[in-house]
Amino acid sequence: MAYSEKVVDHFNNPRNMGSFKKDEEGIGTGMVGAPECGDVMKLQIKVQNDMIVDAKFKTFGCGSAIASSSLATEWLKGKTIQEAQKIKNTDIVQELNLPPVKIHCSVLAEDAIKAALADYQKKADGPATDAK
Amino acid sequence: MDHPHTHSPNPRELQMARRLCWHCQSEVSGEYFCDRCAKVQPVSKETDYFTCFGFPRRLTIDQSKLEAKFYELSRAFHPDFYQSKSEREQTISLGNSATLNSAYRTLRDPIQRAEYLLDLDAGAIKEIRNSPPADLFEEILELQDTLNEYRAADRTSAIWQQLRAKLQAEQLTLEERKQDMEASLQQLFTDWDALQDRGDSTSQARTERDPLLMRMREILSNRTYVKSIVNDLVATIG
Repeated sequence: MAYSEKVVDHFNNPRNMGSFKKDEEGIGTGMVGAPECGDVMKLQIKVQNDMIVDAKFKTFGCGSAIASSSLATEWLKGKTIQEAQKIKNTDIVQELNLPPVKIHCSVLAEDAIKAALADYQKKADGPATDAK
Repeated sequence: MDHPHTHSPNPRELQMARRLCWHCQSEVSGEYFCDRCAKVQPVSKETDYFTCFGFPRRLTIDQSKLEAKFYELSRAFHPDFYQSKSEREQTISLGNSATLNSAYRTLRDPIQRAEYLLDLDAGAIKEIRNSPPADLFEEILELQDTLNEYRAADRTSAIWQQLRAKLQAEQLTLEERKQDMEASLQQLFTDWDALQDRGDSTSQARTERDPLLMRMREILSNRTYVKSIVNDLVATIG
């Protein structure tokens, strides 16, 4: 099975690879894995005034998993939290032209986005819930 | 209180019990050959792999019995022996051989067997999501960075030697951890089988069953993550 050109491009030139310090202000971290294949994905967003100003990822896995997370970080940048919530795995499948056996990679990327957004929200709401 | 009608028998178990021979229409019960006309019978797609081999659905299996049964059935279904038979019988022999091979591959490996049986008995166990093991993930991603550094390093440099030594040490540690996980799984498998042997469907048994499932799911997943980074390590440092 051959990878699509876009997958190969993201794989060879991954965008936004790296990480932020977790405890830095405005950082949301999503850490997810696929127990079926052993892939691990870490996706982080940097939020300022409800806007995602930067995003980074680290992925241990196949080409499609790397491409999916790389693409996700590109899409996240410049979006508001609300807009980011709307990114669906099917959008990633379409953009990267993923074959059926690799759809789970895009699901993993969507999960990572959701987890990062949730982590950011939790941190943003943190002091209030801690106070009780 | 148990209501009998809620305990409808599993269709997979019923399937072999009542079936008619495709050739002579007499009842075939459980065996692969019709008692009356001796024609080979197709293994239904509904038949689970344990039933294929005539084994109970348990996580612990006698490997030598499994192997013996596999060879016995392989011979019985082998396409070579059906070349002079009817087209229908040839097709059945091919189909049965393929099913038998998949069944054997799945059952002989304890991990695959567990995944398979838990899917059958506990619904899609893959759907049971544990909170991801964040520490393990960080470790894997860090290790991946080191692997990339190693791949990029000049083989004649001191740093290459250092990275190599570090990765070798990591590989040993991870392999040990994988073995520990497998030992824990073995224990959980025994516990699971014991619970099944009791044939207990009370809520008490269910409260024992769920934590066992969760624990197995957790270790099975973590083992896959560890295995996948170990494979990468082995492939890189050889």
